[in-house]
Amino acid sequence: MARTLDWRSQLDRKGHQVIFSGQAIAMHCHHYNINLQKTLEDALGEEGVHLLYGAAEETIFHALQSLFMQYPKISSLKSKLEMASILFQNCGLGIIYFQTVKPTKALIVSTSSHHVTGWLAKHGKRETPGCHFTRGWIAGTLETIYRRPLGYFDVTETLCKMKRDNNCVFHAKVR
Amino acid sequence: MAIDGTKIIHAVMEGSRIRESKGIIPLFGVYLSLFSTQYYNLLNFDFEKRMGPARREESKRLLIEAAHECGYATFEGIRNSSEWEQIVAPMIESPEDEIKGFNAVAVAFGWGDLEVTEIIPDKKLCIRVTDSYEASGYLEKYGQARSEKCYMLRGVAAAFMDLVYGGNYPEGYATFFAEEPLCRAKGDPYCEFTAEKSPSPRTIAG
Repeated sequence: MARTLDWRSQLDRKGHQVIFSGQAIAMHCHHYNINLQKTLEDALGEEGVHLLYGAAEETIFHALQSLFMQYPKISSLKSKLEMASILFQNCGLGIIYFQTVKPTKALIVSTSSHHVTGWLAKHGKRETPGCHFTRGWIAGTLETIYRRPLGYFDVTETLCKMKRDNNCVFHAKVR
Repeated sequence: MAIDGTKIIHAVMEGSRIRESKGIIPLFGVYLSLFSTQYYNLLNFDFEKRMGPARREESKRLLIEAAHECGYATFEGIRNSSEWEQIVAPMIESPEDEIKGFNAVAVAFGWGDLEVTEIIPDKKLCIRVTDSYEASGYLEKYGQARSEKCYMLRGVAAAFMDLVYGGNYPEGYATFFAEEPLCRAKGDPYCEFTAEKSPSPRTIAG
């Protein structure tokens, strides 16, 4: 079902604003996204990581709620997950697979991402997992799909391509 | 020939619809992402808040530097891209046209209705914006600010001047610095950015 949506037509302009599925967006490149991540991590440590996670979680939570309201026929778990994956890809954020998804836990794999590509290009290999944006994005997505409040899921990253693992692997569970 | 912003917007909109197999958008020599302006505003303003009053100036400086360095690297990539060569380069007759070309790309990226109001070659750049997403986002969430809030555009304005008048890349980084004397977030009718020679040029970080 989600594949039948015309994603190309979702990206449009309203005057000087860029609109994606009715919401104002900005196009930013890996230089800015990674600079922001590094700035927050360096200045605030773990608190900065929480900020990156939380901002992505909150933003996708509201964006997906709006999208699901626009497309009420996308109602099954499978079609909602498919829509979320396509959204991730269409925003240039990478490829994400929801492998096992249950109301209390989930396993998600990303084979490539904007943040991984950007981090490796600018800073090379990391020693710790670094896909905080994607973790938050997954948490917000699952919370929207299961109609749970923000913060309901905790998403951790056990393998990360920023550390030169083969894929990024995420585990979601109820807090 | 004047810089045709509409043509640049069209090229960006068409290019940003192209995904390679890894879900990445390679356009104008950089990897682009499309994400809500709400995300960037949450990051910037929550960061500033968490840093607290004692580190307010530091948080502002870090956010401006993040954008300044980004703008410098991003627009260096952009002006060396095949898309720039094909679409923008034919319109450029002077260094000042190059700045107007950068400005048109920034508008195409959805950063606001940036308008170059003054360029004094090698000395000063003035950009006016009536709808910066940073100012709009701040006003919407927190109400009127006590100080200027458009850190991203402020860094980018300095980067434009660095690239055109700062000498060879990457040595020209931070040859210029920018200020935002007027900001809609603090009640001014529009945001204004002025970039001038920096008293202390620095090198680009990692």
